[in-house]
Amino acid sequence: MNTGPYSDEKVQKYIAAEFIPVKSQCVWDKRTELMKQFDIAWTPTLMVHDVTGKEHHRVVGFVPTDDFLAHLKLGKAKMSFNRFRFADAVENFSTVIEQHPDAGAVPEAVFYLGVTTYWKSHDPKGLRRAYDTLAARFPQSEWARRALPYKQIPL
Amino acid sequence: MTEIKWEKDFHKAVELAGKTNKPIFQDFWFDG
Repeated sequence: MNTGPYSDEKVQKYIAAEFIPVKSQCVWDKRTELMKQFDIAWTPTLMVHDVTGKEHHRVVGFVPTDDFLAHLKLGKAKMSFNRFRFADAVENFSTVIEQHPDAGAVPEAVFYLGVTTYWKSHDPKGLRRAYDTLAARFPQSEWARRALPYKQIPL
Repeated sequence: MTEIKWEKDFHKAVELAGKTNKPIFQDFWFDG
């Protein structure tokens, strides 16, 4: 059962320490209630929920180990962000960026770190710094385009 | 090696999450 990224000890330790892990089998000819509840149309679909079972992040398709860990941490960060726990969110988005610099989740983490920094301080410079980072490191990313309005913010 | 102890029941996972204050990681998978 622990194959793919789950065979990696770092992944095993992180999931065991930070999450309640649950596996839900999909049946395509007779969709399960959970598949209907979460609109599951392809596998693997990986989701991070808060303690009430509310979804905060999902990934569809295979992801290798480093991307996988980055998505788990991004999910925790978005959960903090969505619940206005900005100090935790800053720490968690920063963790994604610093510990997984080459992961596909990083542009999204940079964008949200900028927004979270703004919410925490009400200083718009955090938004401009997010744009600058995205424009410099990930210019082709959709997240760089989403941050484009922040280019106008003076530093 | 740390074995991942998977729950199979999502509702039980939510119950455990509430008790432990840990978020839930859910993997929808297909054996085929």
